[in-house]
Amino acid sequence: MESDLDDELRFHLEKQTEANLAAGMPPAAARLAALKEFGNPRLQQEECRDAWGTRMIDNVFDDVRYALRGRRRDPVLAVAATATLALCIGANTVVFSLVNSILLRPLPYPGADRIVWLSEHIGRDSMEVTPGADYYSASDQGRLFEAVAAYDTYTENWNGVEKPEQLDAAQVTPSFFRVMGTRPLMGRYLAAGEEGQKAPDVVVVSYAFWRTRLGADPNVVGSTLTLDRLPNTIIGVMPQGYDFPRATQIWRPMPMDESSERPRSGMRPMRIVRMAARVKPGVGERELESEMVRLTGAIRAEYPKDFETTGFIKGMSITAVPLQKRLVGDLRQALLVLTGAVALVLLIACVNLANLLLARASARHRELAVRLALGSERGRVIRQFLTESLLLALPGGLAGAGLAALTVWLFNVAKPAILVRYPVVSMDLRTLLFTFGLTLATGLIFGMAPALSAARVDIQEALKSGGHGQSSGPRAARLRQGLVVVELGVSLVLLIGAGLLARSFLKLAHTDLGFEPARLLTLRVNLVGPRYAKAEGQVQFYDNVLERVKQSPMVKAASVTTDLPLSGERPFSGGGFQVEGRPRMPLGQMPLANSTVVGRDFFRTLGIAVESGRTFDSRDTSQSPNAVVVNRAFVRKHFPGEDPLGRKLLFGRNASFASGIVGIVGSIRGSALGAEPDPVMYFCECQGGNRFLTRMGLVVRTSGEPRAAIRDVEAQVYAEDRNQPVFDVKTMEERLEDATASQRFQLMLIGAFAGLALLLAAAGVYGVMSYLVTRRTRELGIRIALGARPEDVMRHVLGENLTLVLVAVVMGLGGAWALTRYLKTMLYGVTTLDAPTLAVAPAILAATVILASLGPARRAARVDPMTALREE
Amino acid sequence: MSKPTDLVQGTLDLLILKTLALEPMHGWAIANRIKQLSEAVLLVQQGSLYPALHRLEQQALIQSEWGASDNNRRAKYYSLTRAGRRQLERESASWERLSAAISGIVRMA
Repeated sequence: MESDLDDELRFHLEKQTEANLAAGMPPAAARLAALKEFGNPRLQQEECRDAWGTRMIDNVFDDVRYALRGRRRDPVLAVAATATLALCIGANTVVFSLVNSILLRPLPYPGADRIVWLSEHIGRDSMEVTPGADYYSASDQGRLFEAVAAYDTYTENWNGVEKPEQLDAAQVTPSFFRVMGTRPLMGRYLAAGEEGQKAPDVVVVSYAFWRTRLGADPNVVGSTLTLDRLPNTIIGVMPQGYDFPRATQIWRPMPMDESSERPRSGMRPMRIVRMAARVKPGVGERELESEMVRLTGAIRAEYPKDFETTGFIKGMSITAVPLQKRLVGDLRQALLVLTGAVALVLLIACVNLANLLLARASARHRELAVRLALGSERGRVIRQFLTESLLLALPGGLAGAGLAALTVWLFNVAKPAILVRYPVVSMDLRTLLFTFGLTLATGLIFGMAPALSAARVDIQEALKSGGHGQSSGPRAARLRQGLVVVELGVSLVLLIGAGLLARSFLKLAHTDLGFEPARLLTLRVNLVGPRYAKAEGQVQFYDNVLERVKQSPMVKAASVTTDLPLSGERPFSGGGFQVEGRPRMPLGQMPLANSTVVGRDFFRTLGIAVESGRTFDSRDTSQSPNAVVVNRAFVRKHFPGEDPLGRKLLFGRNASFASGIVGIVGSIRGSALGAEPDPVMYFCECQGGNRFLTRMGLVVRTSGEPRAAIRDVEAQVYAEDRNQPVFDVKTMEERLEDATASQRFQLMLIGAFAGLALLLAAAGVYGVMSYLVTRRTRELGIRIALGARPEDVMRHVLGENLTLVLVAVVMGLGGAWALTRYLKTMLYGVTTLDAPTLAVAPAILAATVILASLGPARRAARVDPMTALREE
Repeated sequence: MSKPTDLVQGTLDLLILKTLALEPMHGWAIANRIKQLSEAVLLVQQGSLYPALHRLEQQALIQSEWGASDNNRRAKYYSLTRAGRRQLERESASWERLSAAISGIVRMA
């Protein structure tokens, strides 16, 4: 079409030239006359193109060229905008990467949205585990499941390559692999029937284990792995990226037989398992829910009559949640809060940039007026401004994407403890699209302000008053102040959020643990082999090791326990008991408490307060009467208002096993830092009678830095038995840090965002203040001329800011009140109306505003009245 | 060029349509014909001719076709569409009404 147009116009010129020639003009003059008469061909081409409607695209290119030229003239704006946006868009991208990688990306298993995790609930509490019998019930009676699996995690000893190692293992039913849906990298998975006590000794190994420990041997299938002293055949290797249960290195058949779990009975111990299932395709959420209700009923019906009277059954239900939600769901709220926070920061940046551009725009109103008078459409002008702001935003967006990529890389390299449990964070196409979209949106948002102000320009007004136009009027000033107030309010919200999280973190980190965590080394062993088949062997081992360990000069005390505090493990055991002298309780209503088996020196080693009575000492042996020590929580729950010392607790089928309460100790925080201590009964390993003490933890109180004692202690364990690996070696303070890791991480991020927001708001305040001072130069000059002192002027200028701050504080408090309800679950020991935070945050804000205003205020004080009065 | 006064643009459109009502012709011929017919009173502002032609074509009042000119050069010939013919009738009618009204007033002494 273009060349056609050229041809058409050229033809016209030729014809006119001919006509002129025919009329007698000399050739050169003829051509010239034709051209003159025709006018500007370029212009006409444009106008024709206008008629076609392709002018639009050309206009955009023009706008871009013009905008680029403009930016070269104003490097400060470009740099400020790019830097600000790089930080803010970068932060948003990082948070989105987190959300995308952890919450949005589906698990790496085929049809992962159909994998659900089953657990039992008693009333509202989730047990997180199910009795083994539920697996059989669900397999038989679940109509909507393609496959149901039971699994459990534990550790196994492996001879290892150089020294023995503890491996993370999982026992699974063969259906487990069908539930997950992957295919093995090599070999095969468990076949049907490979389960139960008589299952063959076969294992599947993880990809990572195969690569790093087995040297990626291509012939690994069929080779032998010695686990817990027994030979096992490797039958398959998991594909890369498979990680369920998390960090598992080997999978073996679950030694559970239906005959031992069903029919259900209170007389037999119930195996505890976890369950997962794959739902048939096309099953909706509501369908699944009603199916679980039906399954609950079916399971309840399987319980013998006597269970019913206990009320245990009535409150029981079994539920299914998508596996992804189970694995990452707890992070959902925190991530949403982060997203909100970082979006607020970006909002502040947009407001700042809008203010900056408004200032620039007002200077260009004259130019604008001229263009409008010459016939440019307002729409075109608005488009021009938007193009400029988009162009301003793009480098910031690019830089932001780069910064985000760097941060994500750092996350994966440094791997803060909080993130280890979750999928790897990475930036993918969706993230980049998000960044791009966000950049565009940002450019449009902050470009709106100058664009709209340009649209309202009155041509005559602008041309008359020599360029100041309306944007200099009081309305514009108030608009700018209003924007700053918004900025300050939003910053306050972020500050309050950060403050609440900080207080919460401090409270958590300084929770009274009930024991002394400093200079405490902890580690675990898992005794395997015929020597430890009986209780005597186990107890002998621990006694010997403790003897050896105490020889070391670095060690002040040492002991053993089945439950290491803050280790995140399930309690060793727990159960119901009867109290002598009280009426017998039926099965479902017996008092419950956790049981922990400890060594004699346990309480001394840990520094647990002894409140009354005694703890274990040399008089407790396998021959002496059974003794039990209980904690304060136990007393509060089961002996409120009574003195339990001397009372007897009865265990066992016929309440035949009696233990006398000999002492009361302080409660300690167990596996979860935030929870209230559970009631615990402590038994001594020195009294024997328990043959399940193969897995215990060692606690060692050192005189100096606990890490220095690691080698010594390990050596003593190996000296006692070469083949017993030592694992999970950490100081108690490290465990404490791990327990607060997630709070610390959140605090770090929100603190960073709040800091960034404050910085941006300060910049905004500075900008607006400078503008206001410039505007009022004349008035200030008059004041000074009339005798105002510099301090008076400064006070006057700063005082005006106070109203701004007050309004911002009110806004911010209101916003915080509305928004912090979402923080509630993340807070520990702190309410959303926490007085210190609500007092300190506004103070910080006010201080920032004052600091940011000092510069302009001082400039105001130094205005030379002569120049000011002369200024127009 | 932003909108010149409506009258001028509309008038040019009318002239073009009228010229094409007689026979299809190319741009230069239209300009020439208008000059001739108006006895040189109306000099078509050459700068607005082609934009007007393209606009009218966009509006489907005229259509174009490439053909050979009298000395075998490539030229774009325009002709009236049926819609164009109807528009011409409407415009002519209102123009006559307008000019009659103005003459009526002007002639009043």
